[in-house]
Amino acid sequence: MSDPTLLVLASLADGDKHGYAMLEDIQRFAGVRLGPGTLYGAITRLEQHGWIRPVRSAEDRRQPYTLSADGRRYLEEQLSELNQIVKIGLKRLKHA
Amino acid sequence: MKGLALWFARWYPRQWRARYGREFDALLEDANLNVLDVFGVVRSALEMRIKSTNVPRLLDMACRDIPHGYELESSVELPLEDGGKILFRSFYRQIDLGDSYVTLTHSSRGSGPAQTILICGKKGEVDGDFRTDETEMLVLQADGTVHRTEQTVKTWLKFDVMIDRVREKYRRGLSAEDIFGQMWSDSDNPLSS
Repeated sequence: MSDPTLLVLASLADGDKHGYAMLEDIQRFAGVRLGPGTLYGAITRLEQHGWIRPVRSAEDRRQPYTLSADGRRYLEEQLSELNQIVKIGLKRLKHA
Repeated sequence: MKGLALWFARWYPRQWRARYGREFDALLEDANLNVLDVFGVVRSALEMRIKSTNVPRLLDMACRDIPHGYELESSVELPLEDGGKILFRSFYRQIDLGDSYVTLTHSSRGSGPAQTILICGKKGEVDGDFRTDETEMLVLQADGTVHRTEQTVKTWLKFDVMIDRVREKYRRGLSAEDIFGQMWSDSDNPLSS
């Protein structure tokens, strides 16, 4: 899974995070190092879709984001599809 | 690297900077950046710039449900080939009675005179994304002239899908800018599906 938008959604699935926290989390759980430009391209698209939204923060500039209900549903659908592909791929490899 | 990245971050469109600029700069200050990250900022800024200049911008919108239909008012800023912009204002009313419909469009482009188009249509056969309708159209020009035509037209059904999505987002309280942004996004744009 290397789609930046899915990585951001997966990162926010266990709690609100600001940009830097997302970069660190994504590197930890997926082994993917996103650049700031790529991350904010994904954040812009996700917010336009209504899948994430900014939340209030005590910090002035480090803006945390949260997953919306639509975003959670979309992530579940996408992961379910990926899971299906992984299952089929592994099954076929066994029989090859 | 940080200084370079922060300098290139100024290349993002003004609208994008107004929304994300402060938090993006904070991220650039926090992160350990390499050359590829700086290139990433340049690429992303250029992509945003291309997006922001090549698409129309919805400035204002109002939507009302009425018996058997709806009314939609909008002001859209359209980009011109010479880099300029022109304002397109329109009022649209659709009344759908099942087998037939009436639409009224009153619109103006820039400082040009407004025109009004009234269409009465009888719905016909549906074939894929299109329906063949028998229509009668009146075009009322600002100089007092009226053109009347009867014709069989192919109606693009995805237009209704797009308008339904706009109305739903408007009911949810989204701003005109957010609604238009989502219309152009991959999953919501009927042109892409």
